[in-house]
Amino acid sequence: MNTLSTLLTSSGVVKQFGEIRAVDGVNLSLKRGDIVGLVGGNGAGKTTMLRLLCGLYRPTEGGISFHSKSGENRPIHEIREKLGVVPESTGLYHRLTAWENIRYHSRLHGIDDDVAWNRTLRFANALSISDELHRHTRGFSRGMRQKTALLRALVHGPEILLLDEPTAGLDVTSARMVRELVRKLRDEGGTVIYSTHHLAEAQMVCDRIIIMHNGQIRCDGTPDELMAETNTGNLEDAYVALTSDVARTDSIEEKEGKMARIWRTLLTPSRHNKEVAEDE
Amino acid sequence: MSNFALRLRRVRTIAWKELVDFVRDWRTLVAVIVIPLLIFPLLFFALPKILQMEAEERQANVLDIIIQGDSPDQDLFTLFDESLLNYSSESLPNGLDGDLSQPMGDDERLRNMEVSAILRLQHNQTNGTWNYAILRDSTQELSGEAFSRILEDLKLWESNLTNETLVANGLDPEDTLNPIRWSGDSDNADVASDAEQAGWALSLFIPMIVAMWTASSAIQPSIDMTAGERERGTMEAVLCLPVKRFDLLAGKWLAVATISGTGVILQVVGLLFAVQFITSSNSFLQMPALSTSAFLLLLAAVLLFTVMVVAFELALAVRSRSVKEAGSVLGPMIILIIFPALFAQFINLEGIEGFWFAIPVVNILLAMRELLTDRVISGHVLIWFGSSLVYALLAAWYASKQFNREDLVESIS
Repeated sequence: MNTLSTLLTSSGVVKQFGEIRAVDGVNLSLKRGDIVGLVGGNGAGKTTMLRLLCGLYRPTEGGISFHSKSGENRPIHEIREKLGVVPESTGLYHRLTAWENIRYHSRLHGIDDDVAWNRTLRFANALSISDELHRHTRGFSRGMRQKTALLRALVHGPEILLLDEPTAGLDVTSARMVRELVRKLRDEGGTVIYSTHHLAEAQMVCDRIIIMHNGQIRCDGTPDELMAETNTGNLEDAYVALTSDVARTDSIEEKEGKMARIWRTLLTPSRHNKEVAEDE
Repeated sequence: MSNFALRLRRVRTIAWKELVDFVRDWRTLVAVIVIPLLIFPLLFFALPKILQMEAEERQANVLDIIIQGDSPDQDLFTLFDESLLNYSSESLPNGLDGDLSQPMGDDERLRNMEVSAILRLQHNQTNGTWNYAILRDSTQELSGEAFSRILEDLKLWESNLTNETLVANGLDPEDTLNPIRWSGDSDNADVASDAEQAGWALSLFIPMIVAMWTASSAIQPSIDMTAGERERGTMEAVLCLPVKRFDLLAGKWLAVATISGTGVILQVVGLLFAVQFITSSNSFLQMPALSTSAFLLLLAAVLLFTVMVVAFELALAVRSRSVKEAGSVLGPMIILIIFPALFAQFINLEGIEGFWFAIPVVNILLAMRELLTDRVISGHVLIWFGSSLVYALLAAWYASKQFNREDLVESIS
């Protein structure tokens, strides 16, 4: 197995929303078998980067390419069948059972139900969720939903797994199960991109950590390399040193149309006006 | 599996999942199955039944009335007795000056319901005629009932007086009052068959139902499958799959069209059942007599209309990031269907100009009206089919454009 070959490259990727550069000139190279942690605060650009990596967003500048084992390069949005994605919201249908949720995605991947079921059972046992597969997900805890979404993302045997806060809301035991599963996937040659707020989490599970801040990559390396680069004794200090400049406050998620903006402005008393009125 | 077959399978998978997800909500079943099926039977059976019960209850009341002025002959008193009117007599108030309709202080008695109505009568001694006025409070049901009974009895009394006068003058009342008469059964003179009449009668209802129910029943599933998915965050996971956005739209369109189509069919069945019950015809469903071409064109008209409306609603709903936002856009949009649909009902189909068949929504309504009366006019068919096809394609193109938006992945939550 060619576990060290390059799988994904991002060259000068920029993603701009209006005036805001959510991702600003990101160069990245991922190898097969890597577990890469994408770490950053709110508004750092992690979610946008993940969406670029799974082809949901097209870069404003630059490009992201997938390199097949045969040496062929293809844009990322053309190889979605090789991706498994667990979004932060998990994206489960509450009126369907866990298995129906998984089967829906497997069918859209063109996988036979029998094959999908066998794969699901294998991973469900590892996550201790096999007894819950025929339950509606409406009553599921956050942890159960995360596990179901993880099973759903793995059902078609993806080459790259993109996880957005995969252990958020999970109890200690469940979070450990997820981390063990991720390592197991890596051992089998899979590549995992693991977005998280928590440095400790990233340190436990990732071979390599990418720190993002204000849409840019501030550092990319193993935990030891990050600490060495910043002359700090632990990852937290390294992170603070790398992201010490002021974080931007503009939210890229709050885009709105012209009419909506004019209407909101008209109906929202500005602080300035309020102060003038109070002075009068 | 070929690429096309795989895409078809995906469309089917999406549609099936949407239907299962939608139908598992019991409120949806009530909205899609129970309400359309019951709305017309309830309207046609229950409402008249309730009205009839209310009328019977009203008619069973003995109502107090006052007769002011000259006393009529015994015939009218007999009629009042039979009509359960309990009467007492008074003289006319002073100062009426020939105008019996002036309340002159009697209005309070009516307002307080001391009496239900007051009949004022004045006999003209010179020519033997009677002048009358009935005082009543039109906002009181019992007063209205008394007014109706008095009026009915006065008509019968008048008819008796007329007949007596004619007979006294040696004239036959029937020949004198009804010199021009219909010969035979008027129904036999209508050359339209029962089925044609059914088609004409249904053409007044069915196009409206199809238009309004297609538009209104598609709103909720359209919102749930687009803005709802965005709000719940399920859309992002689906967009990461190797599914073309157009296939996603097609799957969702198929599901919404199935839901609203089921609603329309059930509503039409409910209507036919109700109409059948009222007309008490022998066959269970009185179907209009349609030629095969008219029937097929009718199906094509409904299909094109559904493509257009559902695609348009999906396109508008998917632009919204929340259910609330989508509801406030699509709710008022129903007016765009209701107004033209109402308007189209009043357009005279005889000698109608061709351009009417090119106006969106109106064209399909008129086409359905024409086809339900089994009139296949090739010029009209060409215009409505061509224009509807263009509108349906435009709506599908617009929807597909909206489904390709990059911000579809974003959610308010």
